[in-house]
Amino acid sequence: MGQGNPEMGGAERCTFCAEPPVIRLSEPDRHLCAAHLICEIEERAARTIRERELVRPHDRIAVAFSGGKDSTALLLILSRLLLSWDDVSLVAITVDEGIAGYRDDTIRAAEEVTKKLGIEHICVSFTDLVGDDLDTLLVGRETNACSVCGILRRKALTVAAHDAGATKIATGHNLDDEAQSVLMNTLRGDLPRLVRTSDADSSDCFIPRIKPLADVAEKEIAAYLFVQDLFPFLPECPYTRYALRREVRSMLSALEQQHPGTMRNLIKSKRAIEKQVDRSTISEPLRRCRQCGDPCSGELCQVCSLRKSLGK
Amino acid sequence: MKIFFPDSTTKITAGEPVSIGWILQQRDINPSEVIVSRNGKLVPEDAVASGDDEIRIIRIAHGG
Ligand SMILES: [Zn+2]
Ligand SMILES: [Zn+2]
Repeated sequence: MGQGNPEMGGAERCTFCAEPPVIRLSEPDRHLCAAHLICEIEERAARTIRERELVRPHDRIAVAFSGGKDSTALLLILSRLLLSWDDVSLVAITVDEGIAGYRDDTIRAAEEVTKKLGIEHICVSFTDLVGDDLDTLLVGRETNACSVCGILRRKALTVAAHDAGATKIATGHNLDDEAQSVLMNTLRGDLPRLVRTSDADSSDCFIPRIKPLADVAEKEIAAYLFVQDLFPFLPECPYTRYALRREVRSMLSALEQQHPGTMRNLIKSKRAIEKQVDRSTISEPLRRCRQCGDPCSGELCQVCSLRKSLGK
Repeated sequence: MKIFFPDSTTKITAGEPVSIGWILQQRDINPSEVIVSRNGKLVPEDAVASGDDEIRIIRIAHGG
């Protein structure tokens, strides 16, 4: 949709049935009703899982579940796909970073959803992990919020998933997140990270990480939840205003609006580079952290060097 | 019609039919960053709002 006269009187009905449309998608151009949207999103996630072989029989999948939209959609979709898999189980893990005025509501939302879906639910907190909540840890270093939080959240999740006996960790990263990461890593000149982060092979821990929603756009996820009365009306994390991702996000969504397919093309480019790159030449050989023994690329793992800089 | 914007402001306008896309364009809102409901039901950007319609523009928070 460009500038100028907006289109008036769009489709009165879904491209596939007589119901009213709730969303318009491009490539191919189509209008979908609520039922056909739900069907399309669940099928697309199922296809991603099948094509990339993200789930195997006897897997125990730990779902990183914040209670926000992406992880709510992920949990819902996996709980529905579960029925068609051979002996696969789910456990939802919520990490309480300790962000005042934000996290309490999302945790309450998370508890309601897991109860409704009948899924085992574990909560862990930054206080358990490092003795302080994020707000306290960040005083005077707010601009590093997202990287500090990311490192600790990853660790908390890995520990909880390990304790729960998980064989996979599923995260709600969507198409927009993936495209943003490609652009951010490129802008930062971080080639090792650019080629490291796809699919199940991106495990920098012992439990492989999977992203079943990597081919679903953020807006599609929001719509998928809204039509099922599951859209979480929650505030944005207060720390995102410090993040580069925020700028990249609005830039990319503007580009996508003007040039549909931009995000998918960006991911396509990254995958093409990935195939060409000999990973051993750009990433450091895997070593062990001398503090905790976790796999890492330097002397200390990210968590231990963060702990050191925080004086923890 | 009555329009609820993501910044919690509201606007009441005469019932001239306009598209949802046009309403978003007037406020420089990128359609991929919001979902829009008309009388409580989700609608695409090419849907038309008119008369006494209640339009709610909901910002999609990042993350989660
Ligand atoms: Zn339909
Ligand atoms: Zn360590």
